[in-house]
Amino acid sequence: MRPRRTGLHTLVGAYVLDAISEADRAQFERHLLTCEQCRDDVRGLREAGARLAVAAAITPRPGLRAATMGAAAGIRQVPPATGDGAPTRLSWRWLRQSVGPQSRPWLTAVATAVAAVLAVTAVAMGLHLGSMQRRLAAEERRDTAITAILGAHDAIAMTAAVRTGGTATVVMSHRAHALVFTASGLARLAGVREYELWLTGPAGSTPAGVLPRARHGMSGPMFVGRLAPGDQLELTVEPLGGSHQPTSAPVVRLALGI
Amino acid sequence: MSGVQSSHLYSYQRAARIAEAREQAGGGFSDEYGNVDVLADGAQDGARSSGSVGPARPGPLEIALAAVARGDHAAFGAVYDQAAPAVLGTVLRVLRDPAQSEEVMQEVLLEVWRSATRFDPSAGTAAAWIMTLAHRRAVDRVRSEQRAAQRELRAATAAVAYDEVSDAVEANLERERVRRCLAGLTELQRESVTLAYYGGYSYREVAELLGVAVGTVKTRMRDGLIRLRDCLGVD
Repeated sequence: MRPRRTGLHTLVGAYVLDAISEADRAQFERHLLTCEQCRDDVRGLREAGARLAVAAAITPRPGLRAATMGAAAGIRQVPPATGDGAPTRLSWRWLRQSVGPQSRPWLTAVATAVAAVLAVTAVAMGLHLGSMQRRLAAEERRDTAITAILGAHDAIAMTAAVRTGGTATVVMSHRAHALVFTASGLARLAGVREYELWLTGPAGSTPAGVLPRARHGMSGPMFVGRLAPGDQLELTVEPLGGSHQPTSAPVVRLALGI
Repeated sequence: MSGVQSSHLYSYQRAARIAEAREQAGGGFSDEYGNVDVLADGAQDGARSSGSVGPARPGPLEIALAAVARGDHAAFGAVYDQAAPAVLGTVLRVLRDPAQSEEVMQEVLLEVWRSATRFDPSAGTAAAWIMTLAHRRAVDRVRSEQRAAQRELRAATAAVAYDEVSDAVEANLERERVRRCLAGLTELQRESVTLAYYGGYSYREVAELLGVAVGTVKTRMRDGLIRLRDCLGVD
């Protein structure tokens, strides 16, 4: 065990210098998920690497600036880490609906967990209850999808440990062919990597969304619709912005039984 | 349209003025935005702060990037001015082909525009984030080209790839520091680091080029970078 870990740790220099194969890179990044010291090392050595870049600086042709600026104007930016907002803002209404006396006990437990995520997100967003409610009214339509799942009569919940740390929770409605995904305590990723959800079925993997950066250790909720028979939900670590196909092994896989 | 842009411009300029005032209060730095030295200073900011948890105060590049994350197109111009020279220089060292390098530089800057919201200041400086994107993209391009068999040619030019570091380009303070710190590495450390970073070689290829064991190259890359980091005073 020990020599293996030492061997991986030695790779930190080659990793920062991008001097490793894709396979080595993936292996090292999995190692990074569980090795805080290594993440610190990577961070420090990347600063040194950036100085090597600065030392090589040359002045670009003048025309490139306008061309790049012009191109940027036509490119939509990735939404901020708080996500699309819609799923995170339905929390209060959903809380009132579901955590009532008539709630089923198992769902109450999940509801409390999900509500904690939502409430923490809401607090983190610095929104007052009043403005939250105004937004709720305005975005009612977008909220409906998640509310429907969490409140569905056939909703079932499952949790699974994430291989690299943390817990994934899914609330799913068979009838709606949809689920809501949340996670807590996921290992922190380097700035150029993100978690991405996938629906993997007999026909391959379909992207199901990049997780917004965690707030207070909580990730999601994410709405995933159009579940098909045989689908599994997978979470992988991908390059910034997500991938079209998974480029690493899943850190958690949930058989949906749909 | 122009109204929107000018309000962006205003917000960025205000942030820039605050940053400038801050820098002046901190002593020493009072440069205009838009050159390489500013980027270097941005990196230093992060370095100085790294003893504590997360960067203590954002440098000019961090501030511009935060404005870009809010969709500020004018601020993207400032990010370009600060980052593009280092991105282009690095990519050119790796790819050697000017036209291709310009293309990759633009791709990297557009990725920065697109993903600015995902920059996490607690994970390092903006310079490190951008240069990591740039270097990785250049190396990925090399690797895919290698499959297209341009490798021999590249091997022939490898020897000059690191020797000419700092020579073909205008002098600046940062470059001198890096050169001095590189000189403080053992020869094997220096060659391992520069062949990988500027040459775009994998550690296996570096081992092959230098005729040493793969394990040796791995540790020299790590030790060389650590020594470089300590010499440059970044962490």
